[in-house]
Amino acid sequence: MDQLSALLHMSPATLWMAFKVVLVFAGPLTLAALMTWVERRGSAMIQDRIGPNRAALFGKWRLMGLPQLAADGIKAFMKEDLVPPHAHKFLFWLTPILAFLPAALGFAVIPFGQSFQSGGQTYHLSLLDPGNGMGMLYPLAIGATAVYGVLVAAWSSNNKWAILGGMRASAQMVSYELGMSLAVISIFMTTGGYDPHQIIAAQHGMWNVGPQFVGFLVFFTCMFAETNRLPFDFAEGESEIVAGYFTEFGSMKFALMYLSEFIHLVTASALIVTLYFGGWRVPFVANPGVLLSVAAFLGKTLFFCWVFVWVRWTLPRFRYDQLMKMGWKVMLPLSLANFLFHAFLMFRRG
Amino acid sequence: MAVIVKQVELSWLDRTYFWPIFKGMVITMRHFLRQITTRTKDRYTVQYPDMKREMPEGYRGLHELKRFEDGAIKCVACFMCAEACPARCITIQAEEFSDLNLTQGFEEKRPAIFKIDMLRCIYCGYCEEACPKDAIWLRKDYDLAAYDRLSMQFGKWDLMNTYADADQKDRITMDPSPSTQTKAGLE
Repeated sequence: MDQLSALLHMSPATLWMAFKVVLVFAGPLTLAALMTWVERRGSAMIQDRIGPNRAALFGKWRLMGLPQLAADGIKAFMKEDLVPPHAHKFLFWLTPILAFLPAALGFAVIPFGQSFQSGGQTYHLSLLDPGNGMGMLYPLAIGATAVYGVLVAAWSSNNKWAILGGMRASAQMVSYELGMSLAVISIFMTTGGYDPHQIIAAQHGMWNVGPQFVGFLVFFTCMFAETNRLPFDFAEGESEIVAGYFTEFGSMKFALMYLSEFIHLVTASALIVTLYFGGWRVPFVANPGVLLSVAAFLGKTLFFCWVFVWVRWTLPRFRYDQLMKMGWKVMLPLSLANFLFHAFLMFRRG
Repeated sequence: MAVIVKQVELSWLDRTYFWPIFKGMVITMRHFLRQITTRTKDRYTVQYPDMKREMPEGYRGLHELKRFEDGAIKCVACFMCAEACPARCITIQAEEFSDLNLTQGFEEKRPAIFKIDMLRCIYCGYCEEACPKDAIWLRKDYDLAAYDRLSMQFGKWDLMNTYADADQKDRITMDPSPSTQTKAGLE
């Protein structure tokens, strides 16, 4: 590390930061692209189909349908970029960025491996080092701004389906955020801090999913609502509002918004892993080291990504009133009860 | 008329949602594992251009004009199939030929032109039923497609060779004996 940074005339910290920026940006993006493949092939397998398997590299190597990603990407870039005549041009162009940015930013604080020492300096495997003052509040705040992507997309399209989808999606995201935040707060409380490094350190010996199982269930359910995935994908609802808030979006704009949903998915999985499943911790190993810890984090995250896909192809969509009822009358009281229960336990312990 | 919707009484376990969802997820996982461990050829989906489904007995597909062992056409140009055809897609022009050979017995008439317009054919199989010589058969080929309309006009030699490869027969492009008209024309 020191030699390489000397070669590039950079301080080791700067080099490490640049490396992390690339990793944290490209990692979730790659995972998200792979998730589109997992989603399509996995759903096919669940439904006893086969799925896209005919795209081939140079017409030769099919690689289980993976070249379909490249084919879709090329298609998205080459397609005509249509802006409907009555759309708000500026906002319409801005929307994919608004949708993509929060998704890409959300990963910044999540530690994806154990910190290590090298040359008398500690390197942290998260984009923002511990003690940055934002901690776990940052992904929650960034996740909340994802609503703007949805709303602006809906508004700028000037389309009834889009606005219906956008309104429903934003109402849903806002109402599920409460339950989710309360579930996270009870974690902050038992940890005694809101820094992800602290939260992971506190999960030594026992993952949070054990003592906070109810909180986990609430948080997990709310994550489905936040990422706009089945059974809560009211933003789309093919049967009633076509494609919801991105009805009018085509070519790369659509691809970007579609991709940002998958990045949300990856980030949501990473959040679940960090908050409830010990982050990079490996069971029965106190100090797993860099490689093993990164592998453990990746494995857990991928598992939860798969659970998102798995649930999507198991459950039908809720009705809108059921969704609202569940958000306000079940999730919020449940996470409030969880919060009060843990507060009471802490009070008893003194 | 009012319809009374039957209300299903859910147990408390079902009302938690989580247990039924878990059961559903077990079902989808079972499907996933079964499908992913099944070999491609055992799956429900037929990977069409690579794999082809074996058509059932009695399937009516592409026609074949049968031939004798020496390559002579079995058809005697009686026009029965053309008459029976509801789509009027068969065009026959008869010719005479004098060389009597053993397999053919005494017949001395055969089609000079035997054309089926595959775009008009409805694959009803009436020609097969009408044929007194069992000379025209409908077989199991179904993937009949072309880039232009003209190549869907199947002539006599196309029809005689449609199943040559499948049945390991030689492809022929000539009658074993010349027609009388041709002979007369040559002399």
